[in-house]
Amino acid sequence: MATCRFLLLIFALSAAASAQPVDFNRRIRPILSDKCFTCHGPDSGKRKTALRFDQEKSAKSALANGKFAIVAGHPEQSELITRVTTANKALRMPPAYMGKDALSAAEIALLRRWVEQGAEWKPFWSFIPPVRPEVPAGQNAIDYFIQSRLAREGLRGSPEADRATLLRRVSFDITGLPPTLAELDAFLRDESPNAYEKAVDRLLASPAYGERMAFRWMEAARYGDTNGYQTDGGRDMWRWRDWVLQAFNRNMPYDQFVREQLAGDLLPNATLEQKIATGFNRNHRTNGEGGIIAEEYRVEYVADRAQTTATVFLGLTAGCARCHDHKYDPISQKEFYQLFAYFNQIPNEQGFAWNHGNEDPNVKAPLPEQSTRLTALDEILKRAEEHWKKVSGAAEKPVAEDWTVTHDLVFQKAEEIQKPFEQKDGNIADFGYMQPCTYSVWVKPEALDGGVLSHSDDFYDGNGHGIYLDGGKVRFHLIHRFSDLGIRLKTTQAVIKKGVWQHIAVTYDGRRKAAGIHIYVDGVLQENDVEFDQNNEPLNVKGRPIRLGAAGGRLYNGALRDARIYKAALTPLEVQALLPAGSKARAELALRERGPQELRDAWAALVQAQAERDKYYASIPSVMVMADGAGRATYLLKRGAYDVPGEKVEAGVPAVLGAVDPAWPKNRLGLAQWMTSRRNPLLARVMVNRVWQSIFGTGLVKTAEDFGSQGEWPVHPEVLDWLAVDFMDSGWDLKAVVKKIVMSSTYRQSSRVTPELLQKDPENRLLARGSRYRLGPEMIRDQALAVSGLLVQKVGGPSVKPYQPPGLWQELAGGGGYVVDKGEGLYRRSLYTYWKRTAPPPYMVNFDSPNREVCTVAEGRTNSPLQSLNLMNDVAFLEASRKFAERVLTDGGGSMEYAYRLATGRLLDEARKRVLERALQSFRATYTNDRKAAASYLAQGDSPVNPALDAGEFATWTAVSNLLLNSDEVITKQ
Amino acid sequence: MSLTRRALLGKSTGLAALATLLGRDGLAKQPGLSSFPNFAPKAKRVIYLFQSGGPSQLELFDYKPRLTEFQGQDLPDSVRGTQRLTGMSSSQTNFPVVPSKFAFQQRGQSGAWVSDLMPYTAKVADRLTFLKTVNTEEINHDPAVTMLQTGFRLGGRPSMGAWVSYGLGCETDDLPAFVVMISNSGGGQPLYDRLWGSGFLPSRYQGVKFRAGADPVLYLSNPQGFSTENRRSYLDSLSELNQITAGEFGDPETSARIAQYEMAFRMQKSVPELTDVKSEPEHTFELYGEDARKPGTFAANCLLARRLAERGVRFIQLYHRDWDHHGGLPAGLPKRCKDVDRASAALISDLTQRGMLEDTLVVWGGEFGRTVYCQGRLTATDYGRDHHGRCFTVWMAGGGIKPGLSYGETDDYGYNIVKDPVHVHDLQATILHCLGIQHDKLTYRFQGRDFRLTDVEGNVVKAILS
Repeated sequence: MATCRFLLLIFALSAAASAQPVDFNRRIRPILSDKCFTCHGPDSGKRKTALRFDQEKSAKSALANGKFAIVAGHPEQSELITRVTTANKALRMPPAYMGKDALSAAEIALLRRWVEQGAEWKPFWSFIPPVRPEVPAGQNAIDYFIQSRLAREGLRGSPEADRATLLRRVSFDITGLPPTLAELDAFLRDESPNAYEKAVDRLLASPAYGERMAFRWMEAARYGDTNGYQTDGGRDMWRWRDWVLQAFNRNMPYDQFVREQLAGDLLPNATLEQKIATGFNRNHRTNGEGGIIAEEYRVEYVADRAQTTATVFLGLTAGCARCHDHKYDPISQKEFYQLFAYFNQIPNEQGFAWNHGNEDPNVKAPLPEQSTRLTALDEILKRAEEHWKKVSGAAEKPVAEDWTVTHDLVFQKAEEIQKPFEQKDGNIADFGYMQPCTYSVWVKPEALDGGVLSHSDDFYDGNGHGIYLDGGKVRFHLIHRFSDLGIRLKTTQAVIKKGVWQHIAVTYDGRRKAAGIHIYVDGVLQENDVEFDQNNEPLNVKGRPIRLGAAGGRLYNGALRDARIYKAALTPLEVQALLPAGSKARAELALRERGPQELRDAWAALVQAQAERDKYYASIPSVMVMADGAGRATYLLKRGAYDVPGEKVEAGVPAVLGAVDPAWPKNRLGLAQWMTSRRNPLLARVMVNRVWQSIFGTGLVKTAEDFGSQGEWPVHPEVLDWLAVDFMDSGWDLKAVVKKIVMSSTYRQSSRVTPELLQKDPENRLLARGSRYRLGPEMIRDQALAVSGLLVQKVGGPSVKPYQPPGLWQELAGGGGYVVDKGEGLYRRSLYTYWKRTAPPPYMVNFDSPNREVCTVAEGRTNSPLQSLNLMNDVAFLEASRKFAERVLTDGGGSMEYAYRLATGRLLDEARKRVLERALQSFRATYTNDRKAAASYLAQGDSPVNPALDAGEFATWTAVSNLLLNSDEVITKQ
Repeated sequence: MSLTRRALLGKSTGLAALATLLGRDGLAKQPGLSSFPNFAPKAKRVIYLFQSGGPSQLELFDYKPRLTEFQGQDLPDSVRGTQRLTGMSSSQTNFPVVPSKFAFQQRGQSGAWVSDLMPYTAKVADRLTFLKTVNTEEINHDPAVTMLQTGFRLGGRPSMGAWVSYGLGCETDDLPAFVVMISNSGGGQPLYDRLWGSGFLPSRYQGVKFRAGADPVLYLSNPQGFSTENRRSYLDSLSELNQITAGEFGDPETSARIAQYEMAFRMQKSVPELTDVKSEPEHTFELYGEDARKPGTFAANCLLARRLAERGVRFIQLYHRDWDHHGGLPAGLPKRCKDVDRASAALISDLTQRGMLEDTLVVWGGEFGRTVYCQGRLTATDYGRDHHGRCFTVWMAGGGIKPGLSYGETDDYGYNIVKDPVHVHDLQATILHCLGIQHDKLTYRFQGRDFRLTDVEGNVVKAILS
C-alpha cells in the first residue's frame, strides 16, 4: 500500500517526466528494493544466485547462463526486463511464491527507460554525507528550494496565515501550548517588522519549549514509569526525563546531547548529570516474570538498545539484521552484533529484573536542593560522629561482661538444647525480602550436615530464611521460590568442626543481593560461594514456625545454645560482642547505654543524625544508568537466539556508514564520538527531519524511522541536506533549526486549501500551503488546561497521576490500582503523566500516542469515535470546560467573542457566532429550568465550583465551553 | 432530521461531499482493504474465548490413560529431551509424572475425549474440533500470550483482532469492529493493553474494551446533568461549527471529524442497548446459566459476545484468567472450569440455534499447556504443573471448521507431538483463512518491512477446514 501511494505520488509530481532522465535513487532503487532485494539483495542467507541488485557490479555482471541482467542502453537484451515482463509464470519475477505482486506497467516502463538511458547507478543517498546545496545570496534556503520545486510543478505557495492563526500555530510548535490572550494582544499590537521573530524568540526561551521537545524524545526513547512486562512494576526514570527537558531548554548542542546519552558515564570525570543522561539506554522494558530465562531477556535489552540507537540517531532499521543479514540495507547480521557489542558490557546485568524499583546499575540522583540538604545532613552526622569519638575516646570503658546486643532482638532461646525446638508462631521473624536481619547461634555438632535455625518451609526447596550446615560449611538461604528467586550461599571453607562450640552469625543488609550477606564463624568474616543471587520478590512464609535444630526438612545433630534472631543487620562490632572474647566490643558498645549522661546524649544524637540522613537519602530519587566493564565477549547470535552463539564479534559500526577512527576507544564513548562526527552521514539529517515532522506533521522523509532502501526518498532533498549541514555548521544548535523552519515563508503560509490543490497534493508534501492537522494527545489536554486556567506550569519532578477512570489497572492485573492525585498533580502538563506500559493513559492511546513499549519516532494521527467520547465526557475535559466557562463569565463578562478567542486565538465571525449563540440558548433553556441538572453537570472534577456564579448560567456556559474544546478548529493546529 | 444532516445536505457540500465523508476514517462503517477478503470467507466474524494462564490439556482434553502406569516415575530424559523449561522447574532434581486426577470419557458421535470437568462442553463436543498439537516456543506468560495474540513474543505488533479489523473493516456502523471483554476470575496472571492494541497499525484498529458497569466503554456516558437531548443539540451545533471550518479551510479531515462525532453518538445509544440483557428471554439464562445475569462474569460476556456477533462486530475477544496452576491444581482447576464450561457450550448451542455458527468462528484456548511432570511437591492429594509450550489443546468451532474432529496426536505422556503439529502461527493462519484472508497477503509496511500476523511463518491447517 505504502509503495503504491508513493508511486502515485511520484507520478502525480512528474506528469511531464518522460523525457527527463530517470533518477536511479529516486525511481529505480525503490522498485529493486521492494521487489527484488529479498532474494537478490544484501541478505547472504537468502540469495539463491550470485545476482544482486543492491550492488552495481553484480547487477551488471554476466549471469551463469552467459546473459546479462542489465545491458546498459539495451532493455531488450536485459534479463531484468525480460523476466519481469514474461508471460511465463514459471519464469516471471518476482516469483508468485514470494507473496510479492508482479510489477505494475508503470514500474516496468520506468525500469525499461532507465536501462535505455544507460542504467546509471548511484550510491544510496542517505549513506553519503550531506553537502550544503547552493542557495542564491539573500534567499531563505527553505523557501528557495520549496518554491523552486513548486514552480517546477506549476504551483504557487499560499499567502501568509493571519497573525492570530500564525501565533497560535507557532506557539504550539515551539511550546506545545496555545498563546495566552495577553501574548496574543501583545503580538497583534506589535507593528514592528520583526514582531514575529520576537515572538519566536520569546517562545524558544520559554521553559515550555523543553517540555514540548522532551515529550517526543520520550516517545523515541520509549520512556515509561513501569517495567513493561507482565506485572509491570514501577521504576523511577523521571530524573532522566528532566535531564532531557533541561538540556533542550539550555539548548545543549545536539552532538553533546547525543554523546552524553550514549556514553555520558564514560566521559572523563563524568558528572552526575552526564551519568543520568545515559538513562536513555535503560528506558527499555525489563522483565520480572517468574520463571523466565534471564539471559534470554538480558539479550533482549541489549538488542533493544542497539535497535533504538539505530532508529533514533541513524534512522535505520538495524533490528532487521538481528536474525539474518538485512534484506534491504547493507547491514549484515554480523554488523548488527557489532553494534550490539557496544551495549553488551553492563557488569552483572540482570535479565530477570527487579519489578519493584530500579534495577542495577543505578545512581542516586539528587536534585540540587536535595544535594544541599544531604550535604547539610552529612555535616550534622559528621559532627555527631566526631563528638561521639571525642567524648567516648576519653571515657573510661566500663566492664560490661553482662552486656549483650538487645536492640531489635525478636527471638532468643538462650538455653542449651539437644533436640529440635519449634516456636509455632514464627511471625515475629516473618521478614520481608528487603528487611535487614541477623541470625546468630552457638553450635556443637555431632554431624556436619543439617538445618540449624530457620523461619521457613519444612522442605529443603521451600521458602524462607535459614542457616544450614553443609559438610562443615555454613549455608544460608533467603528464598521466595527455591528454583529462581532468592539468595543461596555458603562459606568457601568447611569451618565447622564436630564436638566443638562455635558461634555462627549471619547478617543481611536488606539490599536484595548476596553481597549484602555476611557470615561470621567465631567472629571471623567468611568468604562465601554464592550459589544463587536473584532476590526480586517478597518472601511468603507467614505462619511458618521458627525452628531450632531444624531447617528446610533437615535435622541438626548435636547441641545448640543461645539462638537469636534480630530484625536488624548487626555491625561487625556487635557480632564481636556476642563472643566470649568480645569484652572490648562489649565495653565499647555498653558505653553507649551505660556511660554518663553526656555520652548517652552524644550517642543518641549520633543515632538520630544517622537515621535522619538515611531517611532523607532513601527519599532521593535514583535513576537507572549505563555502566561498562563486564568484559563480556559478544557473539553473533544465530537466528537472533540468545542461546545459539556464532562467531565472536568486536564492537563496530556498519561499514557502509564510514569507519570508526582507530584512535577512539572501542566502547560506547567511541561509538558516541563516531556518531557525532562528520563521518556519520545520518545523525543531522535524521534529527532535522524529526524536527520538521514535529512542525509540519510529516517529515521531509516521511518514513522518519527508515532512511534506508525501503524508506521514502526525501520529498525536498535539498532542504533536508541544507538544514542538516547548517545544523552541524552551527555547532548543532537545535533552537536555531527550529527557528529557521518557523521563520520560513513556507511555514507561515495559510493552511487553507483549494479543491484543486487538495487533489494534486492531498498530503501536502509539496508544501504549497501551511500544514493543518489534529494536535497530539498531550497538546489537546494541555490546551484544555491552559485555556481553563487550571494548568500548573511547574517544570520537572516525579510523574503525576491525573484523572483516569477507576479500575483500569485492576481489571488487567488486580492489585491496588491507580490512585488519582489530589491537587496540582491533576493539572500538570501531560508529559508528566504516569506512564504504565501495559495500561497506558487511555486518552493518550485514544489520540494515537505510541505505546512506549519500543522506540517510536513516527507520528500517527487517526480519527475515532472514542476520541469524541473522550473529549465530551472525560472528567478532565469537563472540569476544564467548567473552569473555562468560569473565566468567560468572570474575566470575559459572558461574552461569546471572548470565549471563542480564548479557545482559538481568533476573532469570532458572524456565522460561527450564530451557531454558538443558538447552542447557548439551547443549553440555557435546559439549565435555567433544571437547577439540579445544572448542579450535577457542574460537579465534575476536584476543583471547587465557584459559588458566586448562577448555576444555570454557569452550566450553560460550561456546555458551550466543552463544545468549543471539541471543535475541529480547537483540536487542530491550522 | 438533525441539523447535521441539514447542514450537510443543504449547503454547497451536497451528496457528493457526504459520500466522500462516508468514505473516510472516523466514519460510520469502517471499510477494510479493497483486496480483502481474498476469497469467499466461511466465517464473517470470530469469537475468541481466551483462557489466560495456560489451562492444563492433561486434565481437560488430551486424554493420556497410560499416565497412571507412570505415576510418580521420573519423566524419562528421552521424553523430556533438551527443551527448555521455565526457571520455576528447571532446577528440580526430579520430574515425577502425574496423571490427571479427573476422569475422561468419549463424547457424542465423534467420540472426542473430554474430561468430566467440562460436562457442558462434552455435550457439544460433536460441534467442536480439538487441536491437540498447538505449540509455541514460549514458556512464560507474557511472551506466550503476546505471541498468540500478536504473532510475536515481544510487544509492539498489532493484535489479531486489529489485523482483522484492518483487513476486513466493520460490518456495523454503530459499534466498533473489534471488542474486548475481560471477565473477573478473582485473580490470575495480568493482561496487557497491547494484547488488543493496534501496534504499528493506525490506532483506530485497536480493540475497544467493553467493561462491566455503568460505562461499558470508556467515556461513553454523558456526564450527570447532561441529557441525550442536550447531546443531540450539542452535536448539531458542533457539526454546524465544524462545517463552517470545513468551508473555510477545505480540509477533508474536518468532515471526517463530523462523522466521527456522529458515530460516537450512535455508540452512546447502541452500546447500552447491547449490554442490557434484560430483554433476553428466560431460556437464554437457562442456557448460559444464572451467572449470565451478573455483569463481568465469563457467562455474561459470552452472552454479550453473541449479541455483538448478531450486530456485526467482526472480532470479539474474551479473556478469562487464572488458569495458571503451578500448584494446587486439583482444587484450582475445577473452579475455572466451572466459570467457563457451561457458558462456552451455551454460546455454541445458542449460535447454532440462531443459524449463526456457520459463519461465526469460535476459538477456545490459552497461551500454552502444562507439563506432565509435577512442579513443586507431589503429594497424595495435591500437585501442580509448570508451563508447557510443546503441545496444548485449543478447540475451534463454526464457520470454516469441520466439526467433530480431533486433530494431531501427542505421545503417551502428553509431552511431545507425534503427529500433525499446529504452531501458533498455523493457528493464526487458519483463523485468517476462515475469514477469507490469505495470511501472507495481509501485510502492513512498517520500518521498511511488510509485517504480518504470522511473522514469516504460518501454514493453514487444511485438514480441519470444512
